[in-house]
Amino acid sequence: MIVAPDSAVGAGLLPACWIAATLSFLLAAATAVTPRARDLSPVLSTAGAVLALALGGVLLATGATLSASGGNTLGFAPFAVRYDGLSGVFLVAFGLSAAAASLSVVGQPSRSRPEGAAYPLFLGSIVFVLGASSAFAFLFAWESMALLSAFLVVGLRPTRAVVSAGNVYLAMTHVATAAIVVGFALLVAGSGGQLDFAAWHAAAPTLAPVTRDAALVLVAVGFLTKAGAMPFHVWLPKAHPVAPSHVSAVMSGVMIKTGIYGLIRLVVDVVGGSPEWLGLLILGVGAVSAVMGVLYALMQHDIKRLLAFHSIENVGIILIGLGSALLLQTYGATELAALALTAALFHSVNHAAFKTLLFLGAGAVVNATGLHDLNHLGGLGRKMPATMLAFGVGAAAISGLPPLNGFASEWLTFQGLLGATGSGLVTPLARFAAAGAIGALAITSALAVACFVKATGITFLGLPCSAAAANAHETARPARLAMVILAAICAALGFAAGPVSSALAAVSREAFHDGPPPAAIAAVTAGPRPGGAATYAALAVGALLAAVVGILVLASRSRARARLVDTWTCGIAPRPEFQYTATSYAKPIRLFFRRVLVPEREVHVDYHPGTAFPSSIRYRSEITLLLEDRVLRPAHGLSLRAADLARKLQGGAIQLYIAYSVVAVLVLLLWAR
Amino acid sequence: MNASDAATTAALAGLQLATFLLFAPFLTATIRRTKARLQSRRGPGLLQPYRDLAKWWQKLPLESNAAGPVARYAPAFVLGAMLTAVLLVPWETSRTPLSGWGDLLVVVGLFAAARFALALAALDAGSAFGGMGSSRDVAISALAEPGLVLALAGAATAAGSSDLGAIGAFGMRQGVGLLGPAHLLAAAAFAIVVVAETGHHPVDNPDTHLELTMIHEGMLLEASGRSLAALVLASELKLAVIAAVFSAAFFPFGAATELAPGPIAFGLLVGLGKMLVIAQVLALLDASIAKARILTLPDLLGLASLLALAGFGMQVLLP
Repeated sequence: MIVAPDSAVGAGLLPACWIAATLSFLLAAATAVTPRARDLSPVLSTAGAVLALALGGVLLATGATLSASGGNTLGFAPFAVRYDGLSGVFLVAFGLSAAAASLSVVGQPSRSRPEGAAYPLFLGSIVFVLGASSAFAFLFAWESMALLSAFLVVGLRPTRAVVSAGNVYLAMTHVATAAIVVGFALLVAGSGGQLDFAAWHAAAPTLAPVTRDAALVLVAVGFLTKAGAMPFHVWLPKAHPVAPSHVSAVMSGVMIKTGIYGLIRLVVDVVGGSPEWLGLLILGVGAVSAVMGVLYALMQHDIKRLLAFHSIENVGIILIGLGSALLLQTYGATELAALALTAALFHSVNHAAFKTLLFLGAGAVVNATGLHDLNHLGGLGRKMPATMLAFGVGAAAISGLPPLNGFASEWLTFQGLLGATGSGLVTPLARFAAAGAIGALAITSALAVACFVKATGITFLGLPCSAAAANAHETARPARLAMVILAAICAALGFAAGPVSSALAAVSREAFHDGPPPAAIAAVTAGPRPGGAATYAALAVGALLAAVVGILVLASRSRARARLVDTWTCGIAPRPEFQYTATSYAKPIRLFFRRVLVPEREVHVDYHPGTAFPSSIRYRSEITLLLEDRVLRPAHGLSLRAADLARKLQGGAIQLYIAYSVVAVLVLLLWAR
Repeated sequence: MNASDAATTAALAGLQLATFLLFAPFLTATIRRTKARLQSRRGPGLLQPYRDLAKWWQKLPLESNAAGPVARYAPAFVLGAMLTAVLLVPWETSRTPLSGWGDLLVVVGLFAAARFALALAALDAGSAFGGMGSSRDVAISALAEPGLVLALAGAATAAGSSDLGAIGAFGMRQGVGLLGPAHLLAAAAFAIVVVAETGHHPVDNPDTHLELTMIHEGMLLEASGRSLAALVLASELKLAVIAAVFSAAFFPFGAATELAPGPIAFGLLVGLGKMLVIAQVLALLDASIAKARILTLPDLLGLASLLALAGFGMQVLLP
């Protein structure tokens, strides 16, 4: 095994971090199956994730790379890794998410952590995916990650519904892997049998355009499936909610992001260019995922399913950034492309922070009440103030509100699109497509506000709607700590968006192979930047907002104590049933968008015999998931029917088969006559 | 930034804050006055909004026993976000008071942050009316947002920057040539959005006293005392800020291009005039058309998005 950092900077630190992180995950796996040491496992996982975070941070800060290869027995080095800045970005995202998720289960009784060794190994496999630099190593790590995550979905509570979700996930992830394998095979063939990414990059300019485009499409389909982008998303809302909350947090926060990483690594870094239509396609997939993801999320009342649909939305936002980067690169507007890619990278890191936070918050709610259904929650803020505060910060961050981190990356995404609409290098049609994406991004962020007001307000505010909600309790201290740390990180990434985005800009230059620095026409900075260029002075605006709000809070404190009264309900005593529920909150949007959501509503009233007084009312409201209900289910039915027909042909009687042969021979003879 | 720049910035920021804080309630007063006159009423005096704010500021607050910290601190946040937005829009000059701090998307983001805080606070007391207002407000904003952002993005694309100062300066340089068909389509789209964002007919009724028809007012139903004063002032400021954005992006004429007392005073007068015109148009709408059924709003606001997109298409497809 040869481990070689490429520069003296951080030379000792990089391998140390990497080896220590890997060892921590292995040890965590070993302790998880050792009855006496089981409680150590989450601690070791946390340590491993923190070390991975440190590795990513050093890679980003120093611009160094870390290469290692080993197992050179087959004439090539199957286990080659090379961690660079791009790996560093995703390692930071991974570290933030996995450290908090692992910390949240420290000290919990081991029977509530049935995931055992699979969880730390899953974390380790992600670290390996993010550095693998040859086809064999990448696919090995990729498949380990897929199988371990499938086990985490199915293996713990194999009920009928869970197994069905797991089967969908396993099937889709393997179709995705197959597409990637074929894409890789084309690249291997095109580079004269080389397995190394670097060799592919060297051979990329000599590839036949057809081979290159076919490889790009196959790889893109594979990675978009892992990322959960529409229309390859079907597995995601089924699989994520059934895993334990800290596992869902890592799956949603990081695992789907490996699809984004793979796209950037292969399309931008390795192949180094894409045809115009691929950029447009990814932009379109991003816009559809963003809008439909958030619309479907709004219609959910299971808190974890709601969050899972939001992952589709956020992957969509990242893909809008990536798609506009690819488009701009195609047209030679490389400075703007670097800006757009920076946006995609920034949103990937941000999403890891706030989505993990929100899943941990959802986990705390589920633990405290045993309920997933928002319609039965309410008023939890009184019992769980720390969870409410952290969840609220995460909700504001994911809704893209200043001064938090989600706003900074969405702002950059908008600027990438504005760069595309305004650039003379881009064709008119692509400029118009970018304008459409601006509209899609705008409606997405407004709908996200609606959805997270609903998720936060209906869960934590108002009156409790069930006994379980009324008797909730605050979650354990490590989980609270993990959430508060993540909330602080969301705020810190927002206030420090200036330096963070310039560090990420360096990575996007590197990904474009020494591309120019991002265009100066738009930038997130710390302080003001006069001169007419689009600027978001994150630190300055954030500090100003905080100062103004602080002064107003102090100024508007009344001298007299407020008198406590009942909420106004037209003169009768308030009851929880009067409140808006999650379903009723989303009703205006359900009706506004009825053409795409196709809601179904069923009200069934039974009356006391002979009177007009209802004895019971049952209400059911559901939306149609267009892809599943209108495309996949009918296609599934058709394929089953076709299989039935085929079975009739195969009766099993030998005479029948002889008859088929005779008919076939006759037909052939007639045809050949 | 050197000392004289800092002094200029501070002076402009102070002037802007003072103008907006003094003038925003007056704008509401003129809307009510015009509306009353159109309905053959005398209407309240022009100082009534100021008296209302002063009265609420002194009153003993009533708090719902179901509500908590969200309802308590949200009003300060809503007003704070609006005051920050005030400093990021150009008004009497074609530069923003805090030049280079944030562009139009930051202003849109601050609006969204204020909406988030208010919509959340409306759910805190567990009131059906708060939920109703909150749910409708976020839904209508979701419909209005694409029109709002696309119209502004069209102006930004034409100017080559999304900085409101740069857009205004670009418009001033273009003069009448600015008013091409693409520009006017975007302006029309933005005008529709102004109605939705400020809560006037046919989207919302600012003066309703029937809880079931309230949207913005429904969210304020449980607020009292200084919280109510902060929220009402914030919504009055929002009208002024949106009017300022409208003027900077689409009709920047009259703003001072150099920082001298004469042009600034002129820009201030022209600016106040533009604000009054926008307010009177809103009053006219309130008095002349009925509030629409909420289910018909997608048609109106979808029209805004389509107009803005058509303007965009005209700009990029027919260069």
